[in-house]
Amino acid sequence: MADNILEVKHLKKYFKTNRGTLHAVDDVNFSIRKGETLGLVGESGCGKSTIGRLILGLHSATSGEILFNGQDICRMDAQQMHSMRRQMQIIFQDPFSSLNPRMSISEIIGEPLIIHKIVSSRAELDKRVLELMDVVGLSQRLENSYPHELDGGRRQRVGIARALSLTPQFIMCDEPVSSLDVSIQAQVLNLLKDLQAEFGLTYLFITHDLSVVKYFSDKIAVMYLGQLVETADSDELFRNTLHPYSQALLSAIPEPRAHHKMQRVKLTGELTSPINPEPGCRFAKRCLYAAPYCTGQDPVLQDFGGNHFCACFRAEELREEAAGAAE
Amino acid sequence: MENLLEIKNLTVEYHTQGEIVRAVNGLSLSLRQGESLGLVGETGAGKTTTALSILQLVADPPGKIMGGEIFFEGVDLLKTKKSLLRSVRGNKISMIFQDPMTSLNPVYSVGFQIAEVIRLHESCSQEEARRKAGEMLEMVGIPKERYDEYPHQFSGGMKQRVVIAMSVACSPRIILADEPTTALDVTIQAQVLELMNDLKEKLQTSMLLITHDLGVVAQVCDRVAIMYSGEIVEQGTIPEVFDHPAHPYTIGLFGSIPTLSMSSTKLTPIDGQMPDPTELPAGCSFSPRCPYARAECHKEKPGITRIPGEETHELRCFALGWELPDEALMEVIKRGR
Repeated sequence: MADNILEVKHLKKYFKTNRGTLHAVDDVNFSIRKGETLGLVGESGCGKSTIGRLILGLHSATSGEILFNGQDICRMDAQQMHSMRRQMQIIFQDPFSSLNPRMSISEIIGEPLIIHKIVSSRAELDKRVLELMDVVGLSQRLENSYPHELDGGRRQRVGIARALSLTPQFIMCDEPVSSLDVSIQAQVLNLLKDLQAEFGLTYLFITHDLSVVKYFSDKIAVMYLGQLVETADSDELFRNTLHPYSQALLSAIPEPRAHHKMQRVKLTGELTSPINPEPGCRFAKRCLYAAPYCTGQDPVLQDFGGNHFCACFRAEELREEAAGAAE
Repeated sequence: MENLLEIKNLTVEYHTQGEIVRAVNGLSLSLRQGESLGLVGETGAGKTTTALSILQLVADPPGKIMGGEIFFEGVDLLKTKKSLLRSVRGNKISMIFQDPMTSLNPVYSVGFQIAEVIRLHESCSQEEARRKAGEMLEMVGIPKERYDEYPHQFSGGMKQRVVIAMSVACSPRIILADEPTTALDVTIQAQVLELMNDLKEKLQTSMLLITHDLGVVAQVCDRVAIMYSGEIVEQGTIPEVFDHPAHPYTIGLFGSIPTLSMSSTKLTPIDGQMPDPTELPAGCSFSPRCPYARAECHKEKPGITRIPGEETHELRCFALGWELPDEALMEVIKRGR
């Protein structure tokens, strides 16, 4: 489709370890439309950050294609990649380790402008940096401060200003608020949302927090051990959760309400190892509904209508059962 | 009901080069038998310092407990002898730390570390301690056979189970749990919370649960205390506080969290940051950020008052005496739920 800014096709990333091949990302397909936000959700170790790094060219893919505006990132040379990076930026999880402690705030925000030779004079650079600081709500007096003088929320704003400095089309947010306090978290989420409206940004929002993703994303992709298990529009996913893992993930979130005790879909055990996985549904070992035929063969994403895809052998059956029980 | 633990007017400061960080400012709190109390606040609110003060684990220097009383079983822990404190720590009052990765010793097997607590506090033989530690492992859902394995062989959730086993090994009266699930994934968090709930019921232990997650509190606790700048600004039972949050800070907190039940409208965060604990504002410490603050709020510190018509709901805010016709405020409260 023409309006897809990013298309990921059959993306694989394997890491060699002493104990075998680690399947960090295993045949993942998705696309993001211009101006949209895709929320990529999963627990630690499921490969979501690896996907983000592959898209930015920070890892090279084992196989597969990543089309950004129709061009395959995996086949670019260093020079092409360099100019491509102007269009895609990242906001890191940890605002404490992602800012150089020896650079002042204005140097941090201005550095990309210098690297990409966007500004021609010192005066222009200063002007642009102040503009950017204004956009993300940092007061001008912080210009010559250093990261250690700022709190987490302000540091994350510096990271956002840096990402915006090249006016990219696409920003990857890797857990941008998970290290912030709730009241600050809301400020940053609101800022990201405002910036998206203002600059028509496209986001890939990587997080483990489903409630943040529900608030933030148009589409959601749920990931488990290197594979996508369910993708759908945000509202649809929460209204009509199909995959047993998504259901468990949803029910595990403690709701901040009185008189609302968790009705948990019990998940026993923990993530199995992504090293040399056996064929078959990777969730089967923890799944409540696992049947003998769930192992032995990989489930594929099936269309359930309305842009809702789910990779589960029993999804159809379970949906009918649930519908029957509701009646 | 009898209070098992009673903190009165606790004040803790950290003295660093020329600066005094006022971490806890005249905090009073009580915990009843079998009750779990959630202590909620943001980074730097003084939650952890409060918990550490109970066991007097605040590092000195720079930390100093400046005043107050902490009564446990009728004894003021702040004035008691060191030897008595040692028999309380890990025995009658135990602690679960936030990060299971760093609270276990990497060079001892997990079983040994649990048995160590038992050997220290109960006079029993090596074998007896080993047997008991094995039982503890089983109780938290880890097979006894893994007794001799080392922390690095366990996943994060399993390690936290080990830490929990250690903390309940001597059947304590009180468990102080400092963000016990923050480092864990949601599905594992749910498992650990369930385990803690089960153990609490089985052993009739009281718990002080420190967290920044209002969701966790709603699922686990009976009462909640909201902390801001080293003070408790609001406390009450879960329904009291969650159904009718009254302090502007609490209301702001509820407006800040995206929840699954809300439709995706804009969040209503609290503007600004927590005040610098080295220069606390003169009046109410929340007044610089408070959208409803009046002149008096900036000058005087509000005391704690019971909200009329509610049993245990207490509030530190002048607004209690005002008429609160604010429709916008009510809107926020409703949407928060």
